[in-house]
Amino acid sequence: MCTMDIYAQNILDRYKKPFYKDKFNLSGKRVAGSGKLNLVIHKEANHSCGDVVEVGMKFVETQNLASLQVYSFSGNGCAISMASADMLGDVIVGMNMEDILNFSKDELYEVLGIEISVRRSKCALLPLLAIQNGVLGHQKEALKSWKDYHI
Amino acid sequence: MNFRQDFPIFITNPNLVYLDSAATSQKPKVVLEALRYYYENENANIHRSAHFLAEKATVAYEATRQTVADFIGAKHKHEIIFTRNATESINLVARSWGETFLKAGDEVLLSKLEHHSNLIPWLQLKEKIGIEIKYLDIDESGQLIFDESQITEKTKLVSLTGMSNSLGVITHLKPIITKAHEVGAKVLIDACQMAVHSPIDVQELDADFLVFSAHKLYGPTGVGVLYGKSDLLEKMPPFLGGGEMIQQVFEDRFIAGDIPNKFEAGTPNIAGVTAFKAAIEYLNSVGFETIQKQEKALTEYALEKLKALPYLKLIGPQGMKNRGSIISFTIDGVHPHDIAEGLSQKQICIRAGHHCTQPLMDYLELPATARASFAFYNEVEEVDKLVKGLEEVYEYFNQ
Repeated sequence: MCTMDIYAQNILDRYKKPFYKDKFNLSGKRVAGSGKLNLVIHKEANHSCGDVVEVGMKFVETQNLASLQVYSFSGNGCAISMASADMLGDVIVGMNMEDILNFSKDELYEVLGIEISVRRSKCALLPLLAIQNGVLGHQKEALKSWKDYHI
Repeated sequence: MNFRQDFPIFITNPNLVYLDSAATSQKPKVVLEALRYYYENENANIHRSAHFLAEKATVAYEATRQTVADFIGAKHKHEIIFTRNATESINLVARSWGETFLKAGDEVLLSKLEHHSNLIPWLQLKEKIGIEIKYLDIDESGQLIFDESQITEKTKLVSLTGMSNSLGVITHLKPIITKAHEVGAKVLIDACQMAVHSPIDVQELDADFLVFSAHKLYGPTGVGVLYGKSDLLEKMPPFLGGGEMIQQVFEDRFIAGDIPNKFEAGTPNIAGVTAFKAAIEYLNSVGFETIQKQEKALTEYALEKLKALPYLKLIGPQGMKNRGSIISFTIDGVHPHDIAEGLSQKQICIRAGHHCTQPLMDYLELPATARASFAFYNEVEEVDKLVKGLEEVYEYFNQ
């Protein structure tokens, strides 16, 4: 019987058995279906702890609205950063780019369902930074940095 | 002896297992009392106001300078400059001495062990004036690999740590310092960790510059020390400009004051400096003999216990040889942040990350390590709690 309970069970589960991790080759095949395909790949690192998250997102554009069809990530990091990268997949698949850019820190914390201390905020936010900067880069907009999350 | 009782934080947090003294030490009661005493009895601005209270404050501030000079064996108290921290001390040397006496192509020799504070100021100088940066490699125990060919006529400064904050290695400095001086290069020693665990004699070391910080040495935060040989300090231009550091000011020019004031622009951390004296006196009253005995016993015991965990890997020295009371490690399949988080739930404080030594981590091909560091106020039972905590963390991630 383990006497330690570091994170909520959902975090540990998703860390140990991720759903979206290394799901497809980021340079992989076209997604089935019609419409214009946009492949977005972006990597962010938290140099203070060595965590790296690379996200791959396939958007399909129909009627001028690109929605996320496939999401995957690869990377190395602590339980919070990896679980966050995985759990984000549950909520952003199906979103359009604007919805993804509007997805907030508070909404992410709600999805994670645990209290995120200040010292772990970058762990939790690293995947969101990678996802949002992937989209911003695709749109040729200025990228976000940590200060934009007010941490 | 039980030194815990000298530190109020262990009274307010009786279950605290503080194994992060290499980041900052806890403060003994005498230091906290000295801070309070200063503000309640002597608070005034130093060196300028012509009243009795300013006199008291100035005397208290300057008394610390003498205590620090004696602590490291400096010949003169004016060779001690108070800064905000060791980082500022190194920046002072880089900006003042470096920008004045170095030119493009000159070499500064560092090592793979260095803290960012002993890397960035020199990299800034590389960007600004085109100096070259060279690095000493380390062997598998973390010790510097040095052969005399690494110091040439082009080498103008050798800037090295006396003890690695990441790996705990105590470096062999003497042959490097001797060779550096043979070619006329200056030597800066980062003594932040070294000063806490062993006596320092700058004459015996023959260091040209030596830096450390008060907060790792049981003193307050916000006080750093730069020791420099007086002939060097005298030739160096001021670092920051403002009050205190001048002799005369005209509309179109100024004449800098003498050392040490030349390098202490603006109102310094007077309270912190005065309380630093209490820290050194406390340290001297405990004595390095006792400190080293206790820290060695703790480190030896911890190494033995940690080596028994099959999934734990020690990073750096594997034994006690040339090692201070710092132990860096990784655990299979558990990120250092998760190790620290798990231990934190048990009120066990360790450090996890790159320890401000990113080039070292790259060299070791590690993203981060977990680090436990011991001070003389730690006890064997705390090592047991650490080991038990690590076992539980491992079990948690592998259940």
